[in-house]
Amino acid sequence: MTTKRDFTERVGLSAAAALGLMLVPMEAARADFPEKQVEMVTLFGGPAQTISQVLADMMSKNLPKPVITVSRPGGGGAIGYTYTQAAAPDGYTIVFNSSSISTVYYQGNLPFDYKAFAPIAQIGVEVPVLAVRADSGWKDLKSMVDATKAANKKLRVGISGLGSFTHLASAALFNRVGLQVIYIPYGEGRAPAELLGGRIDAALQWSSQFAPHVKAGTINVLCMTSKAKVELAVETVTCDSAGAAGLDQTIWRGLAAPAGTPPEVIAKLEEATKKAVESPEFVKAAQNLGFNPLFKSAKEFGAAVAAEDKEIGELMTELGLNKKK
Amino acid sequence: MDIFLHALAESLSWQSVAATFFGAIVGLVFGAIPGLTYSMALAMVLPITFTMSNTPAIAMLLGTYIGGMTGGAVSAILIGVPGTPSAAATVLDGEKMARQGKASIAIGIATISGCIGGVLSLMVMLVSVDALARVAISFGPAEITALVVFGLSTICGLSGGSLVKGLIGGVIGLMLMNIGQDPIDAVPRFTFGFTTMLQGVDLLVAMIGLFAVPHVVSVLATYWRGKELHIQTGDVRTEMPSFRLLISQKWNFLRSAAIGTIVGAIPGTGGPIAAFLAYDQAKRWSKTPETFGKGEVAGVVAPEASNHAVTGGAMIPLIGLGIPGDPATAIILGGLLIHGIQPGPLLFMEKPDVISSIYILFVLAYAITTLIQLFGVRVFVKALSIPPHLMAIGILVMCVIGSFAIRNSLFDVGVMCIVGFIAYWLIKAQIPVTPILLGLVLGPTLERESRTALIMSEGDMSIFVTSGPALAFWVLAVVIVAGQFIASMRERKAARTALAKPNEPAAIQETTA
Repeated sequence: MTTKRDFTERVGLSAAAALGLMLVPMEAARADFPEKQVEMVTLFGGPAQTISQVLADMMSKNLPKPVITVSRPGGGGAIGYTYTQAAAPDGYTIVFNSSSISTVYYQGNLPFDYKAFAPIAQIGVEVPVLAVRADSGWKDLKSMVDATKAANKKLRVGISGLGSFTHLASAALFNRVGLQVIYIPYGEGRAPAELLGGRIDAALQWSSQFAPHVKAGTINVLCMTSKAKVELAVETVTCDSAGAAGLDQTIWRGLAAPAGTPPEVIAKLEEATKKAVESPEFVKAAQNLGFNPLFKSAKEFGAAVAAEDKEIGELMTELGLNKKK
Repeated sequence: MDIFLHALAESLSWQSVAATFFGAIVGLVFGAIPGLTYSMALAMVLPITFTMSNTPAIAMLLGTYIGGMTGGAVSAILIGVPGTPSAAATVLDGEKMARQGKASIAIGIATISGCIGGVLSLMVMLVSVDALARVAISFGPAEITALVVFGLSTICGLSGGSLVKGLIGGVIGLMLMNIGQDPIDAVPRFTFGFTTMLQGVDLLVAMIGLFAVPHVVSVLATYWRGKELHIQTGDVRTEMPSFRLLISQKWNFLRSAAIGTIVGAIPGTGGPIAAFLAYDQAKRWSKTPETFGKGEVAGVVAPEASNHAVTGGAMIPLIGLGIPGDPATAIILGGLLIHGIQPGPLLFMEKPDVISSIYILFVLAYAITTLIQLFGVRVFVKALSIPPHLMAIGILVMCVIGSFAIRNSLFDVGVMCIVGFIAYWLIKAQIPVTPILLGLVLGPTLERESRTALIMSEGDMSIFVTSGPALAFWVLAVVIVAGQFIASMRERKAARTALAKPNEPAAIQETTA
């Protein structure tokens, strides 16, 4: 019965928030935060949502009141960001955010950027990998680049969506190796099927999506887009070492609250997040889901978000996707 | 065999049975309430499974998934509002059956059809998961585009009287789906600069508006005018469909289950398309197509057998390749992954016990869901003895909660009201709402797939006709539309001759009916 009760509570809580009935006395809320449950806004479905549910579960164990996830999808994340940004800055509404704050902003679909949020903590990174069909005979990045250049044709690469992070990361990769590419946007999770079906030449997606096919010998993973090697569901080298010198593209995931949230509230959430991310249960769940836990404090996280935002802005300008220039 | 017996023992342990039961109940409730879907139910039970051991966890997820699919038919039949988009086709004949006092038979046959459809799809999965998974991935954007156009051609069969009015409905549906963020370039369309408008019109929200609001308005309007409603409430005995009735539908079961399994296996399609295609085919193959839309049993059997077969079909790419075809199976995949089960070709070699468990739990989930439903029928039909005007108020409350809960968005409640208001006047103008829903369901898929195909071919239109399956679907679509056109021309001619002879009123009645 827990689900049902949780659900009615969720509906009740969010309805109250949406109707502007939140008349919580702010001073009291700060002293012994949290006095009621914390709403963690999630922006997307799929593995990211599952990770947020695990995180909320673990954080609830470290706080006197539970953290619950509420899905507010749409607009590539714009809906959830707008909701959180407009919520009272009291720490009871936080967002499970990602690099999408920068991509959505530069696409011109948000009137505010990452500065509208106070960072709480980074919880992890995700590193996409480049995969090709095994029957292509391409064993590494170089053989793929050479063969495509020799054939003098455009490479068809499957990504999650135009302007999405996987698009930016592949553009950064293929610009470095000098290949002409047609980017084909599939929703989350479709690209591996299209790759196996032979309709695209390569796909840039998450390693866990390819893992079963790599083991079965039908797909080769060529490289990962981060500069430093990380442990992934599939063993591979970095693109940086394989010929795309200087490539470093990773997506961060973390938690943020509306700007103006009191620092002592942020500190409590940060502490709960740290305990959750470092708990063995979270590490194990993350490993199964192909996610790399990596805790960063609010301060480090804030600096990383700002640096990344600048980089994404530049990359999107380069690709002609930046509408905020 | 040892592996199978071990899996059987584990799957039938009290923990697994209890987990399936719990999942089925949650699924049935979520499925029956318009706006709450099985995807939401799955997301909700997923955290509960984190701490469970593997078999009960899978049991709970499958129970929720299958329960959610089954629940959709209950509200479709009793109040004429589909609980899930997959059950939208069930409204056409299910609601009419309920009005004729055959609600319990309708729910009974829907449940049994669902169970048969689901189990048939499982049998297909057992025999050929590997081959079918391969067929499924051979469907790319161009093929899916053709399939969707074929799906749209069923508007012909759903238009009732006038093909033109049916097409108007379909186009309204397609147009509504253009509001919001463009699925390919993320360009805002018709948002007038408002961020909330980026959400666009959600399929479920529009569905509630289309089906529930006009119903509520007309019931209340009749009540306020002081008229008695002629909805059959006296005779709500719980009567079960007879065995003979089931036997008479055997080809319908097989055909609908086949459609559902194939459509379900293709990533990016899903239940509503399968249900509408099956309904259309059942009507086409029927000896008495004129009874469809007026409470025909086959019109309940076809969509329910087909949308339940989608559950098995969708498991094919999930289990065989680790590729989820829709949001619901994506959540199930998350649940499997978190327990360290990686679906894919190697699962059959590495963990055959898990595969056996999944198959057994699938059957268990169907058995439990069917039992709950068949016992529940006597309770459900009681809903019909509630005075219609009180029921209408209850439905209205449910609509508001349901449309809010989909995305936790107040914007959606507004959309539901506006769509409902427009739908009321469209119905007054005799424009059927089912084609609108079909446009809503298929519009986004059509746009995404056709544009993806064109990106792939760098703008070359020939991509749509170069593959065999795509060509086959185009031909089918053309045949159906041409057939309908010729039929309606003949009808018009017949009507004209009848009008020329005013002393034959029977002929006129027939054409206007």
